[in-house]
Amino acid sequence: MEESEDVPKDFVKLKCDKLSVDEVSELVVSPCCGAVSLFIGTTRNNFEGKKVIHLEYEAYTSMAETEIKKICRNARQKWPSVKHIAVHHRLGVVPITEASVIIAVSSPHRVESLEAVMYCINTLKTSVPIWKKEIYEDEYSWKENKECFWANSEK
Amino acid sequence: LVPVVRRHFGSGFLGRPRAPERCLFPGQVSVLYFARSAELAGLRCETLSVPREITSLQLWEEIVKVHPRLAVIRDQVIFAVRQEYVLLGDQLLVLQPGDEVAIIPPISGG
Repeated sequence: MEESEDVPKDFVKLKCDKLSVDEVSELVVSPCCGAVSLFIGTTRNNFEGKKVIHLEYEAYTSMAETEIKKICRNARQKWPSVKHIAVHHRLGVVPITEASVIIAVSSPHRVESLEAVMYCINTLKTSVPIWKKEIYEDEYSWKENKECFWANSEK
Repeated sequence: LVPVVRRHFGSGFLGRPRAPERCLFPGQVSVLYFARSAELAGLRCETLSVPREITSLQLWEEIVKVHPRLAVIRDQVIFAVRQEYVLLGDQLLVLQPGDEVAIIPPISGG
């Protein structure tokens, strides 16, 4: 790869297929970077004593992609040395233990990519129009992120 | 664009008289429903004729007139108008034909 082609890039994808940690981390690898930091959000099999069968995700896809790209831009302002950012989020049915979101960030040194990954997942939970439904044995529940400022947490 | 009104919402809505030769009524927007709001409304999208200028709360109230079951989530939703979040309240919206208005229940991505 020509060094002149290694310009900072954001890779944002919403897809129904199984996510790949290898694929996402390879997107951000760069010759000038000594660090790739990753976050993987996986599905748990329980919530408040109820058995979770699987999760289902839906999205306002066009706006979700735009909001994720905004998060990437803001991350670059906060950590200018960040090189590449990749955010892959799964939609549709996600079985237990599989990944629903993978975020990877590369930077020359580790501090920036570690902090930027945390920023990306925390901010995604506040602002990206994606919804998760937990399917239990006898019922289901639309989840609400505690970070969502318009959720009515006092019911 | 199909020159047919998918839904027609009665005299309270139409802010202006229609020009007969136009394919789209003035002020016809797309309303998108997601998650719980889609379950309560029973659909994912429809077209709606609204005045060009309307507050976000008035817009919500017009939508609830068509889908009364949405009333239960009033305190938990916001709008996205042209993909920008808008709280339900006094904010005046200036809507253009073809604008997207989405009902946004509490999000749970990530």
